[in-house]
Amino acid sequence: MKKVITGNHAVSYGAMLARAQVIAAYPITPQTTIVEHLADFTADGQLDARFINVESEHSAMAASVGASAAGARAFTASSSHGLALMHEMLHVAAGSRLPIVMANVNRALGTNWNLWADQTDSLSQRDTGWLQFYCESNQEALDTVIQAYRVSEQVLVPSMICLDAFFISHTAEIVDIPDKALVDSYLPECNLVYRLDPANPCTLYGVTSAEFYYEFRYKLHKAMEDAIRVAREADDEFREMFGRSYGLVEQYRMEDAELVLVTSGTAASTSRLVIDELRERGERVGMLRIRMFRPFPAEEIRNALRGAQRVAVMDRNMSPGQGGIMAQELRSALCNTPDRPPVYGFVVGLGGRDITTDVVHRVIEEALATDIPEDIIWMGVKV
Amino acid sequence: MPLRGKPTTEAEKIVFRHEAELPPMTRSMGTVLINKTGSWRYLRPVYEEKTPPCRDACPAGIDIQGFVDMLARGEPLEAWRLIRESSPLPGVCGRVCPHPCERSCNRGEFDEAISIHALERLAADRALNEGVGEEPRAPKEEERVAIIGSGPAGLSCAHFLGREGYGVTVFEALPRPGGMLRVGIPEYRLPRTVLDKEIADIEALGVSFQTGARIGDIGELADYDAIFVATGAHKSRSLNIPGEDAAGVIPGVEFLKNLNLGGKNQAGERVLVVGGGNTAIDAARSALRLGARTTIVYRRTREEMPAIEEEIEAALAEGVDILYLATPRMALVKDGRVAQVGLIKTELAEPDETGRRRPVEVAGSEFMIEADTVITALGEAPDLSFLPEHAGLSEEPREIDGTPVFGGGDAFTGAGTVVHAIASGRRGARAIISRLAGAGVAHEPPGPVVPFESVNTACFARQPAVRMPEVPVAERVSGFAEVNRGLPLTDGLEEAKRCFSCGVCNLCDNCLIFCPDIAVIRLNDSYEIDYDYCKGCGICAVECPGNVISLVEEER
Amino acid sequence: MSIEIPREEYLFSGHTGCPGCGAVLAMRHVLKGLGDKTVVAIPACCWSIIAGAFPYATLNVPLMHCAFETGAATAAGIKAALEIRGDTETTVLAWAGDGGTFDIGLQALSGAAERNDDIIFICYDNEAYMNTGIQRSSATPWKTWTSTTPANTPKETPKKDIVATMMAHHIPYIATGSVAYPADLIAKVRKAKEIRGTKFIHILIPCPPGWRHPSELTIKIARLAVLSRVFPLYEIEDGNHRVTVEPDDTRVSEYLKLQGRFRHLDETDIEVIQANVDREWSRIECLSA
Repeated sequence: MKKVITGNHAVSYGAMLARAQVIAAYPITPQTTIVEHLADFTADGQLDARFINVESEHSAMAASVGASAAGARAFTASSSHGLALMHEMLHVAAGSRLPIVMANVNRALGTNWNLWADQTDSLSQRDTGWLQFYCESNQEALDTVIQAYRVSEQVLVPSMICLDAFFISHTAEIVDIPDKALVDSYLPECNLVYRLDPANPCTLYGVTSAEFYYEFRYKLHKAMEDAIRVAREADDEFREMFGRSYGLVEQYRMEDAELVLVTSGTAASTSRLVIDELRERGERVGMLRIRMFRPFPAEEIRNALRGAQRVAVMDRNMSPGQGGIMAQELRSALCNTPDRPPVYGFVVGLGGRDITTDVVHRVIEEALATDIPEDIIWMGVKV
Repeated sequence: MPLRGKPTTEAEKIVFRHEAELPPMTRSMGTVLINKTGSWRYLRPVYEEKTPPCRDACPAGIDIQGFVDMLARGEPLEAWRLIRESSPLPGVCGRVCPHPCERSCNRGEFDEAISIHALERLAADRALNEGVGEEPRAPKEEERVAIIGSGPAGLSCAHFLGREGYGVTVFEALPRPGGMLRVGIPEYRLPRTVLDKEIADIEALGVSFQTGARIGDIGELADYDAIFVATGAHKSRSLNIPGEDAAGVIPGVEFLKNLNLGGKNQAGERVLVVGGGNTAIDAARSALRLGARTTIVYRRTREEMPAIEEEIEAALAEGVDILYLATPRMALVKDGRVAQVGLIKTELAEPDETGRRRPVEVAGSEFMIEADTVITALGEAPDLSFLPEHAGLSEEPREIDGTPVFGGGDAFTGAGTVVHAIASGRRGARAIISRLAGAGVAHEPPGPVVPFESVNTACFARQPAVRMPEVPVAERVSGFAEVNRGLPLTDGLEEAKRCFSCGVCNLCDNCLIFCPDIAVIRLNDSYEIDYDYCKGCGICAVECPGNVISLVEEER
Repeated sequence: MSIEIPREEYLFSGHTGCPGCGAVLAMRHVLKGLGDKTVVAIPACCWSIIAGAFPYATLNVPLMHCAFETGAATAAGIKAALEIRGDTETTVLAWAGDGGTFDIGLQALSGAAERNDDIIFICYDNEAYMNTGIQRSSATPWKTWTSTTPANTPKETPKKDIVATMMAHHIPYIATGSVAYPADLIAKVRKAKEIRGTKFIHILIPCPPGWRHPSELTIKIARLAVLSRVFPLYEIEDGNHRVTVEPDDTRVSEYLKLQGRFRHLDETDIEVIQANVDREWSRIECLSA
């Protein structure tokens, strides 16, 4: 069934079709409509879930942790400061190996309050042990919620699905809403072995000494690594069943590309137009969209970039004192590779500033024009 | 102990050799039983039963806490059986014992002492009323023991010898057995059915009684293997005043004996009783019941009066006058019978050798009282004229004509209470058995006595003691029916529950309930401490209501 | 004393609670009241340690450790999950110290209480941050020594009135409890178990190291707190107060003098404390009439 809906609404459909059982959420713009729709789904019986109107994002994640620990499929959504408030609990959820799925609408962080698109909120949670997916479209947002449960529940690592504020969250487009029965056959019922069960009492998440802590961290990392394979399989099977897939990274017109533009989120859609235009002109440019950021699919990226002469990363995020975060990750993934291409780190579109085709053109031009890139390239800053 | 799951009873350390053996998160796989926290302990709690002050105070050493506990559990016959381990006369003692146990009872410092006296009587009365007594049996030992005197000491000795299977014959000069219990104590205090029942229980042990058999010479008993002399103290001390020999001046013991053996009424219309002990009170209350106006004259104050407090109260309530701080100087005789008594006031000086303040006469304070009967109750002395001179008999045995002779009771101890006599009789029996069996009788030394400060009174709510109801004064002074009614069973059982159970575990569970280390294990009728886990915090020792648990330093 | 305490044990020996730990006893008795159909959520507190380090457990019911400020929210999540999974029987217990209740845990507790989430929240209150070494909390009484309120500058403000705070949330059941009165505590826990909505039970927990008293006096001190009215035992059912254990004429000084944390108090301080206790008691008594 196709419907014209916003990205937030699509996420709600994803959670509903995944049969989320406990939803604990707290309002924050521009996330709020996700949980509003879920409250409606729950109220009108389309979704059999317990909805907990918590008093903060911290409690939203705490309640999700409790619910998941007790074996339920838990869902929540947040954004920006809400996500920042959850920070402690993100570590807790991941360390507890709870397959919670959360939608995060990427919004800029204050102070200098701003409600618009910026990925710094979720990227600054990269070390919490959550899988992170960055979506380009409303359809992808819906589909990724469903895929994420499948991956998370297999590897016991929580998932964060990230969508650009307003460009996705509040923009309506045609979305194919999958058949419920088909989703059920794709996503089995939540059945967690390690859970709170009065019939089989155990103590969960207790203290441990250095004797074991190291191994638990190792195992979390191993699960992350495993998630790459599991996510790829889940995406493949999704394609077979639903006719759509996204990959962990998306390669667009990468054949023989000398310059690869690396993007994420909605900037990819704009970039696609520019790539098409330049390819028309015979320029050897391609695009690599990073969909899965955690775990970082380094090997797949290295393979994709083999042969590229220059790599230009567009980061709608910024780590003050270092620059674009995806650029750092990319440099880090490439640095041990022989004949590695230079990585141009462009900081673009912060706080919702438009990334227009003009911006993308200038990024590519700049990358092509400079042999040795600066660490950070500010694109469009008023100086 | 019901437990779910699988506790690691055989706790073994869980070892991980490889990360793959670990669960994904810290999920428990065993129990903390692995931690033997007993190694933290430097004080070790131990169950160490101690002596309750009541038992310590009881001359007969009755396991008072034990029988009270049995009552609290609703088992009065078991209580009766337990008392009889230490005393053959619970029905008698439950009525006439001055119950020093109650004065020592720790509960007295909290609210009111347990009514031990009434509870003892209750247990005995249940046995009496339900027709439960000693099963008849025949002696099994060859040796035979003669007991001279069937008062409480003789009866007690007979009981404890009879229980061990010795052939016992009790010789009693009077027509009925019981000694002072029968002839000294008025029936309104001790109904004869009670005494008869308890003597019958002793008889059932194979003890034979020869009454009306005065032993003129100890040589008459040469056939016996041992002799226990318990002839009591029946000779009244004299007043040593002019006119003492006149008619109407009667020794208290004689007065009571005559009355109790059904003789002629010796009390006139106006009776003066001299003395402050139980004989004085018994005589006064008896005279009152015979219709006389009765006054007791005592040379000290009420505080020094040796009679049982409740008896004094009862006498006053019934209308006996007590004249304190006065002493007779002479009896004025008219027509051959006393008519008036001349008295002098006294005052109390410094304490004498008995610890009581010595009365001294106040010069010029003489006065007169009308009295046609003077009953003297200044104490009684034994008559041991049937023994060879200078026999030097005491509780220590002497050979007389080749037979070991033991002494006991008032005649030798001078203590003057039934319970002391019972204790003495038991000591005698024990000594005789040691002698005849040629082996000492094991006697465990009692543990330390529990002081009030060691009782965890927080475990108890204040609740007044239950007292025995009394027959109303108007009704009781008209005859010799028993004054005290026993406790109703339900009241008695409730009263028994007030016991602190000092020094004796009554399975209250406090140690179990308040152990933070779950290291106290309840067994059927006791507890065990699991020293593998007990950290020695000491809560159990503090929370034990009766101070049963002691903390001892851990040896390291 | 005749108390019917269930024989079942849900704690194992070998836990690492301090000798004489009141918090262990409180848990032991509460679980005797709740039974095996119980799930416990424990935020950071002494019990985070007592519950056993991996791979060993102290409790024989399911337990999860959670973040310091999340006791109530975690419990709410657990309850929602159990219900949606078809288990409506199991009681979910949030078990927090005074820090996880009065201070850092208050927001989540307030949220759960306002939503009337169907959980029992028990605060075992030892009146300071004991697990981290006796720092003052908002549950620390006036003039108390702690490691962050030294004896020459003891705490200047009174203990937060957590029961009044919870009353303001109009939850169906609030009670106070004491380790010295296990039967009372068990009765309250059982009552709470049968009521739907948020139930709050506040238990005062003597702490031998933190209160500076010998380990054997834990119960005695807890009892004196009740008898002296420092910590009266009562319950508030749908707003109706009822005193469950009558105090006696014990003075607060009897309670204070056994604890090193009050050693520096002078006569005037004790008089002020007595007056405050008397005033608070008359308020409770009045409400219970």
